[in-house]
Amino acid sequence: MSGEYQKHQVLEKALNFTNSSHSLSRREFLIMTGGIIVAVSALEARGAKEPPLIIVDQAEGLVIADATQCVGCRRCELACTEFNDGKASPTMARIKIGRNLNFGPKGPYAGLRAQGNWGNGLIIQDLCKQCPHPVPCANACPNDAIVVSPSTGARVVDPNKCTGCKMCQRACPWEMMSFDSDTNKATKCFLCEGNPKCVEACPSGALSYVAWRDLTDKVPPRVVPTAVVSPEKAQTCIDCHKK
Amino acid sequence: MAKYGGWAGKVLRVDLSTGRMSTDDTVEQYKDYLGGTGIGYKVIWDEVQAGTKPFDPENKIVFGVGPLAGTGAPCNGRTAITTLWPTCWPRPLVASGHMGGHFAAELKYAGYDAIIIEGKADHPVWLSVMDGRTEIKDARQLWGQGIRRSTIEINQQMGPEATVAAIGQAGENLVPMSVVMNSYSHSAGGVGGVMGSKNLKAIGVRGTGSVRIAGNKEEWEKAIKLHLSLLGANNQNVVPNSPQPWAEHYNAGSRWMASAGRRWGASDPNIDTGACEPHNLNRIAYRTNNAAFFLGDKAWQYTVRGNGCTACPIRCHTMLKVPAVAAKYGIPEVGQNTCVGLLFGKAFFKTFPDGPRGQTAIEACMVGMHLADDLGIWENYGQLQRDFQALYYNGIFGRKVAEKEFKSYSWDKYEEGDPTFLFELLPKIANKQGELATALGLGTGYLLERWGIPEQEWLENHELLYWKFGHPKHHSNEDAGQCGVIINTQYNRDAQCHSHSNFTRNGLPLEVQKRLAVELWGAPDAVDGVADFTPMNVYKAKMAKWSLLRKELHDCLSLCNWMGPWVASPLRERDYRGEDSIESLLYSLATGDRKSRQELDQVAERIFLLHRALTIRDMGTKEMRTKHDTIPHWVFADPKDRAAFSKGTIRMDRDDIKLAMDMYYEEMAWDKQTGSPTRETYRRLGLETVADELAKRGLLT
Repeated sequence: MSGEYQKHQVLEKALNFTNSSHSLSRREFLIMTGGIIVAVSALEARGAKEPPLIIVDQAEGLVIADATQCVGCRRCELACTEFNDGKASPTMARIKIGRNLNFGPKGPYAGLRAQGNWGNGLIIQDLCKQCPHPVPCANACPNDAIVVSPSTGARVVDPNKCTGCKMCQRACPWEMMSFDSDTNKATKCFLCEGNPKCVEACPSGALSYVAWRDLTDKVPPRVVPTAVVSPEKAQTCIDCHKK
Repeated sequence: MAKYGGWAGKVLRVDLSTGRMSTDDTVEQYKDYLGGTGIGYKVIWDEVQAGTKPFDPENKIVFGVGPLAGTGAPCNGRTAITTLWPTCWPRPLVASGHMGGHFAAELKYAGYDAIIIEGKADHPVWLSVMDGRTEIKDARQLWGQGIRRSTIEINQQMGPEATVAAIGQAGENLVPMSVVMNSYSHSAGGVGGVMGSKNLKAIGVRGTGSVRIAGNKEEWEKAIKLHLSLLGANNQNVVPNSPQPWAEHYNAGSRWMASAGRRWGASDPNIDTGACEPHNLNRIAYRTNNAAFFLGDKAWQYTVRGNGCTACPIRCHTMLKVPAVAAKYGIPEVGQNTCVGLLFGKAFFKTFPDGPRGQTAIEACMVGMHLADDLGIWENYGQLQRDFQALYYNGIFGRKVAEKEFKSYSWDKYEEGDPTFLFELLPKIANKQGELATALGLGTGYLLERWGIPEQEWLENHELLYWKFGHPKHHSNEDAGQCGVIINTQYNRDAQCHSHSNFTRNGLPLEVQKRLAVELWGAPDAVDGVADFTPMNVYKAKMAKWSLLRKELHDCLSLCNWMGPWVASPLRERDYRGEDSIESLLYSLATGDRKSRQELDQVAERIFLLHRALTIRDMGTKEMRTKHDTIPHWVFADPKDRAAFSKGTIRMDRDDIKLAMDMYYEEMAWDKQTGSPTRETYRRLGLETVADELAKRGLLT
């Protein structure tokens, strides 16, 4: 993708955003414009030194789940990796059921508060939030390998750039980064170009692909992220947010 | 990259006597036997001497799965556990138990197609299998604990994603009627005591690997979607059980329970199961509610959701939440199981104060599941409970058990249908306390022998549904006439075959079934209306052979024979046809080893033949027709003395069944006189060395 084209896309997205009926708060406006400046200036600078990638535009959709409808069959996990990668690999699936299946998010120490098959039956499906800016996995990537999919706006791993360092895994508060141990690359939910296999595969209709909404402040995190943002990226944050 | 997909590639071998662990190459050593029971029979044939007893350290247990386990092929969650069977009477023979849940898939992700357990540990241990790292761990702190507590403890050590197959107190105490259980409610009967005899409390498995699909992923996706489109409800019932806007047919006996207004009432908020139009693959999981099927409409209000095995959209285990039981019996509000596991507690009682489908019956189920699935007691396909009722109401307990012990039970509670009675009985079975409970824990054959009751009485009693060798019928003449009878003669425990009954009970009108039968077995006469049977013909024998081979194939591939085969479908545009080649399509794509339906059936025949050879070897006779393939007398009787082949009876005719067995042996190319396979048959299926071994022992026809 050429730098010119990217620049055009960023501005296009910004214009769409400002033209929408969404009224911007002062903070949002600052983040928005700051982001554009960073992105645009970053693109201008290309050729000299690779500037850090900061994702500011939002995904168009995301997969949401109804826990009461989940029957714990894991067909979503299997569809994710079989139909996309040619192997059955729940650990690598970009939707995660198995870890909550037995006891729920609190695990086998939950006692009477357990969920899942050994508790009250509720199965919490863990899904990628396609985070808004700042995107933790993308910001943690030292190689800028997590980029925006042109078709859906999903945050996706560019396998050509990923070196398999797993920094992204340590950045996601919901532990939604997956790893393909055959290719030694990170992977994550890329929304299957707008037709998510997991949604299609669910035999109880518990999953839906919907217009993007911000779930990052609604779904409790699983872990405290421990990834470090590189000084270069941190500097862009400062550059932008001090304005 | 491994040559084949599907298989994990390794079989783990653990000798508990020495602590030695090793691996075999699955493809090199077991490819001709696929997996599951195939590996199980092969190991027992090669490595366990005739005359070995189930609880001897020399006996081995094989936890086997197949190339489809852990993939997205629907209904692949079953692990086959093969060993010498402790309830097989009067002498133990090879058999297998099958547990669903998530163990099979997790084993594959951990890198194994099977685990062979050998020897005996000198103290209680459990086995931790984590991604190819196996450790024998001390289980002394777990010994004496139920399955639930043991599982949670092991999950605390291995992590929440591990699947644990554990025995309860029953298995520890070498009660033959005991199970191994995984994923809360998925058990394999009969093998708990064998694990206990090896001092093996549990196997915990955790895998982060994958199962490679060898074929093109788009083709695989198409095959999966085809298979999904053919699914019905549980037991492959392909019509709904009540009229639905989309349905041409319905059948009140169908397990396809969903309908507008029938709600998962304990889900918060409620979920309406709705019409479940068959093309809507996002509604498959709502079709089945086995609690409502077995316990009546009252179960809907208590239904949390369906549950079940890895990759199975059917969800035949129903999760129930019955708040009243917490205060009333001091047990958890939530319980789950299916079929006889669900009915474990209820089935002991003859009556309940509010009838067979009332609240008390449901509470008895909750108490039964709570106790049995923690203590690890097996019900032998309901034979335990049928025996119990007969032994009590016929006064046999009173005669065989010392008065003091007999009176220690609250029989008044039992007769009233009070579920609290189960708290008296079930722990005693698991702990071998007293004569009554100890005898019940032996299984029917050994119980009758211990108490000097002639087996004949059981063979004649229609209500007991007892078949032979200590075990009951499993989908016999009541579901498929002569075909069902033939199938029930073939195994060393209850037959566990559903290939035939999943067709005859699929709910389609007989004329549709007959149309499909022409394509499958050559003539419409292969199938009859249930309890409207016609005399034997060769097409019924072909159906019996097909049924048995598909059962064995499913047990080796890890497809569920409680759901398959899939030769009928709910799809009107296909004239309700299913797909007879779905197994070979999935197998070929997953493994990359292209095999036609016929070729794969031939592999299944080899495996089934090895089971036959093992049975002959361990019985020490080739007179299988008279000594093994026996049929209980009740099959030839009718409570109202209706003649065989008259409408309304499942009674069979003796001469006709003789003909049925003749035709069956001919289809199998076995010797008709003895019912033993011929050398030519062994040779044709690649088992000439097996024939040689039998010949050496004078056991070859």
